[in-house]
Parts: sequence; C-alpha cells; structure tokens
Amino acid sequence: MNAILEIEGLKKYYGRAGNQTKALDGIALQVTDGEFLGIMGSSGSGKSTLLNCIATVIRPTAGKIVMQGEEIQSMKGRKLSEYRGKKIGYLFQNFELLDNLTGRENIMLPMSLHNIPDRESKKRLSRLAGYLEITDVLDKFPSQMSGGQKQRVAAARALIMDPCMILADEPTGALDSRNAKMLMEKLSGLNRDQHATILMVTHDSNAASYCRRILFIQDGRIFHELRRDMPGETQQEFYERILKVMAQLGGGSANVL
Amino acid sequence: MFFELVRRNSRRNRKENGLFFGSLLVSIIAFYIVLSLSQQDVMYFLREMESDAVNRLLEMIPVFYGLTLVILFFLIYFAGKFQMERRRHEFGMYLMMGMRRGRLFAMLLAEDFGGSVIALAIGLPAAVLLSELISLVTARVVGLGIIGHRFSFSPYAVALTAAGFLMIKLAAFLILSIKISREEIGSLLAERPEETKRQFPAAVYAVFLIAGVLGLGTAYYMAIRGISWSRIDRMAFTVVIGFAGTLCLFFGLRAVFGLIIRAGGKDRKLHVFNVRQLQENVIRQSSAMAVSSLLILAALCCFGAGIAMVRHYGDDEHILDYTFTAEYMDEENTSRKKADETMSTLRENGLAHEFSDFIEMKVGSVRTSDDPDDTYSMDVVMNLISAMPATEDRDILLNNLSYMTYPHLIALSSYNELLDAAGRPKIELGEKEAAVYMDTDVSTEALRQMMNEALTKRPETLLDRDPLYLTGEVQTTALVTVRSITLSFALILPDEAFDYYTQGEYNIFVDAILGNREESVSLMTAISEMNAKLNETGLEYESYLQNMGRQLFYTVATSYITIYLAVVFLIVANTVIGVQFLMNQQKTNRRYRTLIRLGAVYETLCRSAGKQINWYFGIPTVIAAVSSIFGVRALFTGILSSRTMGSVSEMMVVSAAMILLLCMIELIYMIVVKRLSSRYLLTLMVPEREE
Repeated sequence: MNAILEIEGLKKYYGRAGNQTKALDGIALQVTDGEFLGIMGSSGSGKSTLLNCIATVIRPTAGKIVMQGEEIQSMKGRKLSEYRGKKIGYLFQNFELLDNLTGRENIMLPMSLHNIPDRESKKRLSRLAGYLEITDVLDKFPSQMSGGQKQRVAAARALIMDPCMILADEPTGALDSRNAKMLMEKLSGLNRDQHATILMVTHDSNAASYCRRILFIQDGRIFHELRRDMPGETQQEFYERILKVMAQLGGGSANVL
Repeated sequence: MFFELVRRNSRRNRKENGLFFGSLLVSIIAFYIVLSLSQQDVMYFLREMESDAVNRLLEMIPVFYGLTLVILFFLIYFAGKFQMERRRHEFGMYLMMGMRRGRLFAMLLAEDFGGSVIALAIGLPAAVLLSELISLVTARVVGLGIIGHRFSFSPYAVALTAAGFLMIKLAAFLILSIKISREEIGSLLAERPEETKRQFPAAVYAVFLIAGVLGLGTAYYMAIRGISWSRIDRMAFTVVIGFAGTLCLFFGLRAVFGLIIRAGGKDRKLHVFNVRQLQENVIRQSSAMAVSSLLILAALCCFGAGIAMVRHYGDDEHILDYTFTAEYMDEENTSRKKADETMSTLRENGLAHEFSDFIEMKVGSVRTSDDPDDTYSMDVVMNLISAMPATEDRDILLNNLSYMTYPHLIALSSYNELLDAAGRPKIELGEKEAAVYMDTDVSTEALRQMMNEALTKRPETLLDRDPLYLTGEVQTTALVTVRSITLSFALILPDEAFDYYTQGEYNIFVDAILGNREESVSLMTAISEMNAKLNETGLEYESYLQNMGRQLFYTVATSYITIYLAVVFLIVANTVIGVQFLMNQQKTNRRYRTLIRLGAVYETLCRSAGKQINWYFGIPTVIAAVSSIFGVRALFTGILSSRTMGSVSEMMVVSAAMILLLCMIELIYMIVVKRLSSRYLLTLMVPEREE
C-alpha cells in the first residue's frame, strides 16, 4: 500500500513566545490509499487544526505535508485552488450548503468553480445521488431538506470532483443518531466499495468505530493508535476498544465541559 | 470606558460603512447649497433685475428643503437599519453582560451623535467651498464677470443644514433603536434565520412581470399623449399605475431569473451562484429596488428635461445694448417725433457720445389695404411646403402660415444697419422682392429650414394684390432688446416699397450700442452706470441685461432646481442599492467562506461579486434609463408651451445625452461598490477559527 498523504514534524503554534499555545506539536502520520482513518481527541487537542492544515485553510508553523508526492505548503495561486478543489473533498460539521442554491446546484458548485465541462459530471452526479439516496431532493433548497439529507448532499459535493482524499470534520456532529448512522454507513461503503480515502475528525466513538484505524491526539501530539483487526474484529468490539482509550484519555467528549 | 467604547464603535461604523458615510456628507452639501442659494452671485444680480420672480423662487426653497429632508430621511433610515441589523448580536452581548437598556440606548445615541458631528465637521466646510465654486463658475459661464463677487458664507444656511441633518438622523435613530430595544436578548443573540419568503408558482411571477410592463406602458402613453395633464385625477391615476407597474415589474423579475437558470446550460465561473444571489437579493428587496429605480428615473428625468430646457432658453445672441421708445404706438406720426426727442434728449445730456451706434428700427404694417384678412397671400409658398414630406413640423408651419394674412413690414435699410452692427453681410433686394423675417423665439430651426427650402424657389406672393417675390434666407436677428416684442412673421421690404405700403406711418425703435468700454469694466457695470445716467433724463428704455436677466432667471431657476433634485435622488437611490448589496454580502459571508474552502481564489470571488454588482445596479438603472426616455418626453408634453413644442425632438437628443451622462455616474458608483466588496472579500480569505 502506498501512502498518498505523508505528514512529518507538523507544528502549529499560536501567540508569541512566552504565551504560546501549541495546537500541533510535532505530528507525523501517513495515510495510505483507500484507508479510512479516524482522528479523535478532546476539544482543543488539535485535531481540527490538523485537518485545517491539510485542507490548506491554515498555514503550519513548521513541518511538511506531502500529498501524492507534492508538498502543499509550496503551492500557490491556481495550483492551490486546484488542490483544494480537486485533490481534497471537504465535509463540514455544519454542512455549509449554500442556502440559496438547490441541492443539485450545490453539488455542481465545485465544477462551476473549476470550469469543468458538465457532461461527465452529470453522470457522476446521478450515480452519487442514487448511492447517497438524495435523488428526490436534488431540486430542493437546503431549507426544505432534513439534516441527514443536507449532509449527504454535502457529501456528494465533496465527492463530485473525485478527490484523492475526503477530509471530514465531525460530519455527524449536527446529526441525530439515525441520520449519523446512515451517513457513516454510506461513507464506509464508499471506502469499502470504491476505495475512497477518508480522513475523519470526530468526537463520536460510535462514528469512529466505522474507521479502520484511529489516531488519538492530546495536546497537539499523537498519543495512541488503534487498528481494527480485519476481518476478525466486529464493529461492536472495536467500538468498545475505542471507549476504553477514551476513558484513559480522560473521558473525551464526556469531560469537555 | 463608556466613551472609549462609543468612540471605537463610531469609528468602526464609519469604516465599515464608508459608502453610507460618504452619502451623509453629500446630503449635508446638498442641504447647504439649496439653503445658501440666495447668497449666490447670480442671485444677487437677478434680484436687482427681476426681484419678483427671484423672490418667488426663494420662497420655494423651504419647500425643496422639506422635500429633501423627507427623501434623505428614508436614506438614513434604510442604511441605518442595515447597520443595526448587523450589530444585533453585539447588542445582545452587551445586554447579556448586564448593560441596562437605557445605557445601551445612550451609547447608541452617543455613537450616532458623534458620527453626525464628524459628518457635519467635514461636510459643512466642503459645502461652503463647493457653493462658492458654483457661484464663481455660474457667474463666469453666464458672463457677468466676477464683479462684486462676495464670499457667500451663510450662517443661516449652516444653522438650518445642521439642524435639519441632526433632526432626520435623530428621528431615524429613534425609530430603529426602539425596534431593537423591544426585542428579547435571545432573539438578538441568535443568528437571524434567513427569512424564506413564500414562493409562488412561476406563472404568478410571469403575470406580475407582464402586468408591470403593461402598467408602465399605460402610464407613459397617458403622460405623453397629454391625457394625464388635463385633469388632476387622471394625473393621480397615471402616477399610481406607473408606481404599481414598477413594483410589479421588479417583483416579476424572479420569473426572468428562473428562466436564466433553467436555460443556463453551462455553469461556468459561478454563473448559477451569481444568478441565485441576484435572485435572492432582487426578490427579497424587490420593493426597495423598485423605489431606487424610480428615484434614478426621477433623477434622470429632472436632469434630462432641465438641461434641455436650459439650453432652449439659453441661446441668445448679444448685439444691441439698449432700445428706446420700446413701445408700440398706433397714433399717427408720434413715433417719428418720439425718436427725434429721444435723440435730442440724449444729446442734451451729453450721453450720445457714449454710444457707438444708433439704429432706427422701422417696423410698420400694411396701410394700403383695409381688409386685414386678405392683405397678403402666399399660396405658392404653402403649396411648396405641402409638397414636402409629411411631418408634424410641416403641419405646424402650414398652420402658422395660414394666419399670416396681415404681416408686419421691416425697412431694409434699418435691418441692414442691424446686420452691419452684428458684423454680418447686408442683404440685397430687388424691386418686387422681399426677405422673410421669423423670430427665433417663436419659430424652430426645423420650421425655418423648411421655409428656407421653399424660398430657394423664389416663390411669388401677393401683397395687397401686387406680386412680391420672396428671396434669400429667413432672417432671425433680433430687432430690439425687448424680448416681449417678437415678430413671428414679417417681410423685409426695400425702403421705397416700405414707405409705400406703410404710407409713411410706422414705429421707430431707437436701438443703441454702447461705446467701447475698458476690459476691466464688465458689461453689467457699464449698463448699470448708464442706467443711472438715463434714469435722470426720464427716457424710457429697455437694456439688454434686463431682458437677459429674465432669460437668465429661467435658466438659473430651471437648472438649479432640476440638477439639485437629480443629485439628491441619485445619491439616495445609489446609496440604498450600494449599501443593500454590501450588507447582503456581509450577511451571506458564510457562502463566500464555503466557496473559498471549495477552492475559489480571490480573483474568482471578486469577479463573481463584480458580476452581481453589475446586475444589481444595472437592473434598476437600465429600467430607469429606458423609462426616463418616455418620462422626459412626458414632461415635455406637460410643461412646455405649445410654441416650444416644435423643438421637442432636438431637446430629446440633449436629454438623451444627459441621461447617458448620468448613467456614467452610476458606473462610478458601481466601481466604488466593487472596490468595497473586493476589500471585504479579501478579509474573508483569511481563515477564521470557528470552534
């Protein structure tokens, strides 16, 4: 298995010397092609910062992020925008659908941004919509959709450009358990059947149990790693192992407030 | 601490809403300029010449002031509302932290007052300077020279400007803050959910669109045909139907956007996003946009019609300085006596040498015939004109000529003297020949051209049953300085023929031209001094300036009022549109952030916003510009007297040019808004930590 994402010595410091917050303090990891990787940690542990660094939303203080052999910090202008649009697909906690666009228009938005002829993408759109069960909401506006439908439309938007990697930032955070389950099943199905590479940040142990591997982050460092024993270990067993680590970490989300 | 917060908030408001602040400045300037009108050089001059009319105009200024107050109140209210909406969350936070509502109110009041004071501090000096500049420029343009230019600072205008400005700001502030202070903290803190307006089926919007076009069309048809101007209730109906038509048109625009999206085909460069943004903005604020469009329309109409009318009043040549015995007399031989008396009085008082030239202008009527209805006939001319292509102008000319059965006569020698003084070649006439004279005030260029064409054929006419051939070109040089004496149609006859037909009984107007004056002495001074001397002699006279004053008064009054109103309307409309757009952009900043995450670069976003601005300003402007062509035409129908109607087409061209010019101003506004929008988008490019 070859790595499509390699991160070395990644640091992100906020503030000036003397009063510095180390959001990321020397992270190193690899994501291989077709992997479903989860990143867990308590609030403020640095997991979202890590995701934002990969998404080029924020610039790291030090370290290297290499996507498919190319260092992303050195990208600029058009190349950077192509990276954001084509190499990665981003799934937000709050869906971030444009509320004045229909489902279809939202999904096609990346195509419009990158001037891609839409014949090919229309085929892809109908396949994705069928798989994600959103065909009948394509012409509705977000305000007319349920939370689950919104997140699945957002997932279709993240996938429409056929990115190398999907970055999901707490995708189940704003969903009820039924919709969360459905979304996770769809994501893991995509990973299993179409070898989609997914990097997911989450608080939710249940959602994390769909992953193959989980990295635990605390105070900006990788603290622990869990791998699901395929095919022997069931999802339930993996879930219980996750809970144990979370308890060791100090309760995870249960202890945030 | 309290005042520090007030100061910071106030500065932030100015920075974030610079467009609004700029408009406040312009409105202060507008207030001051209208209020200080009476201090302008031109007005000082006019008051001496035409005090009644000027006083009547100045009496109307409070009305304009009041009207401006009302219009600008709406501007401040609208823009203030956007600002308040944006700060809802902030207000909620203050209240959550235990700030009393009274204190919040006091803080907002202090902020508002501070902002107003700064606007006045910048705006008033600018207004005084600008008013000074206008005073100088108009005096120059009008040709008065800069004699007696005085610094036109008017404390009265300053006080009223400040009072009016503060009053409308306070009124708008009170209404807005009362609304806000009644809301619960929870609803202030919560992000306001986007109001989802009820959607109707596409057919409903299409019906509104068609109804709008029909309504507007009917209104303009009625106004241009003159139906509306006949009775006040018809006018009211026209205004209502036009207003309703515009509202419907904007409401129905949604159908057009729907069609654009459906027909769109290729979605390149955020095309669908742009159209959806516009659709949302135009729909949510369709009535505000309709009102803005109407304001732009009002501005275009005022400016277009005003300038065209000014030009119409404005072209007047200056040859003669004085006319004595400027009265028309019917008694026999009194005219000759009067003329001689005038000359001797001038000589006795030692004034004759101050004039370089005297012209005895002899004008009379046909005395050889008793039948005033059948003294003169020009059937040949009428036939020649009838043969020309049918136009409205041709019919007017034919109609006018059919009444010219008893023309005035002008002696060739005196007319030639006048031409000589004007530096033009003299005209020569043979026996049985005559030239045609038509005053520019009562004939238009088009009519005279038609007449000239007929004259090239040297048509034969009958004057008291004798043949008389018309030759040369139509003559237009003014015979006297008195504008109230105009000849719509007269014949210039060789002196022998003139003496024969008038039987030696005619009027003599003594025209005089002032002698060379020194460069430094303006015409106004020269004439004023001469007037003083003439008043002592008891002579009756009319000076060029008196008459020009009358003209100038119309010019100044029309141009001032129309341009002033146009500027006020434009400012309000553009500020409302601009502020609305920018506020909406800020309200929907999440969308832009999402686009950035999806890989949109800064240039793409700016281009997208630029396109939206083009459309957002373009729609009301284009609708207003198209409407204004009809609007100006309708104004001409209603305002112009029938004799000036002939030149409507010339005036329409001038209006169209002016409308184009104002559209350029729209362009400038668009560029400013684009800059502001780009600056805002740049701030969005920096990621925000949201957790």
